[in-house]
Amino acid sequence: MRTGTVYTETVVHLAPERFAGDVPYQVIIVSLDGEDPGGSGKVTARVAGERVSIDDRVAEVGSSDGIPIFRKS
Amino acid sequence: MGSGGRTGRDVVVAGAGKTPFGAFADKDLRSLAVAAGTKALENARTGPEAIEAFYLGNFAGPQFTSQNHLAPWISTALGMTGIPSTRFEAACASGGSAFFHAVHAVSAGIYDVVMVAGVEKMTSQPTARVTEILAGAGDSQTEVRAGSTFPSLFAMIARRHMHDFGTRREHLSAVAVKNHENGALNPDAQMRKPITLEQAMNARPIAEPLNLYDCSLISDGAAAVVLCAADRAREFSDKPVKVLGIAQASDFVALDRKEDITTFPALRAAARGAYRMAGVDAVQIEFAELHDCFTIAEIVAMEDLGFVRRGQGGFFSFEGGTRRSGAKPVNASGGLKSKGHPVGATGVAQICDVVQQLRCEAGERQLKRHSLGLAQNLGGSGATCVVTILGHD
Repeated sequence: MRTGTVYTETVVHLAPERFAGDVPYQVIIVSLDGEDPGGSGKVTARVAGERVSIDDRVAEVGSSDGIPIFRKS
Repeated sequence: MGSGGRTGRDVVVAGAGKTPFGAFADKDLRSLAVAAGTKALENARTGPEAIEAFYLGNFAGPQFTSQNHLAPWISTALGMTGIPSTRFEAACASGGSAFFHAVHAVSAGIYDVVMVAGVEKMTSQPTARVTEILAGAGDSQTEVRAGSTFPSLFAMIARRHMHDFGTRREHLSAVAVKNHENGALNPDAQMRKPITLEQAMNARPIAEPLNLYDCSLISDGAAAVVLCAADRAREFSDKPVKVLGIAQASDFVALDRKEDITTFPALRAAARGAYRMAGVDAVQIEFAELHDCFTIAEIVAMEDLGFVRRGQGGFFSFEGGTRRSGAKPVNASGGLKSKGHPVGATGVAQICDVVQQLRCEAGERQLKRHSLGLAQNLGGSGATCVVTILGHD
């Protein structure tokens, strides 16, 4: 599983219909450790467990609908 | 005339017209566009028979209203038949992109006289559905699936900008307060209500750190302009306004593909092209209509246009530099925040607002210095940007 550092984050309070039951939920962009040829080295993810902040270390713990889920490590 | 060169004919705005922006239950998309188009024709002292091509900016008419094939649906209602009639979609930069391509066609000598209209009809849908449709301007395979909304993308930009440059909550709110102050004087604005800094800082959260007052409005409205070759300007107007510089540029749709989300490379590229074509620099621009879909977007645009140094946009706004009395007035119209943001209309409406200032017709909002203005229209979280510089010869 991938690891990285929180590059930026937000907590969503007003969601599209299909995520309305999840609010408030956190969406983050993670700067991944290691190489990412042809990419930016970043990935958009959801967060499991406690809320995270910029520069927090995170590790991937699963995925949902193709979207990675990270947790504070 | 390429994305910054200058080889074609000079082009002028000969007529401009807008509807008020707001929530209009009794007006459909087409009637709004026709109202704006009719005003623009009247302002250019001409009729539909003079128009050789019709360019429409519209983001999501088919989703908001279930009507496709919008350009001829509107242009025929305006009395234009037989001419090329085409819709341009570039998210919130749809109007600016339609304008950009129309300017090119006239400059290239393909047409002498064209109309550009922009329109959106958004308030017939509930907010959750509007949020979903707007999210479609992002990457549907990554960020949208993760539950990103449009506000959340700009919230992540704001969070990183605060982290990197020390931009503060009150800096964001100062942008909202200033735009409401201006919009309160605009008879066509959707929200004509001044707000205090305290109100702006303590509104309910939408996507942290952004709250309700950091976000532009959900609006119905339309705007239109008549463009013509400069050598025919006097047939249509006593106050033609010249397109001195214009450029459009693009970037990744997904925010996570960008190296640095606190700057918009497409905005910087479009600005470079427009400045080069006009032969002016950022310091010479006297006033601007910037794409404040969210407060942070106005701050980043100030920086990317070179009005202030990187990281200084929030501080400059908080100190009053962008107020009507400031060194660089921004969004004297009230901006998207207070004037309203019918997405596809916005880019064309910005042109109308700059033209109004240049013609000295802005009433209580009239700025002292009004000979060189700039409009900046941003699509998505920066994947399309159009920068236009307007002025007199």
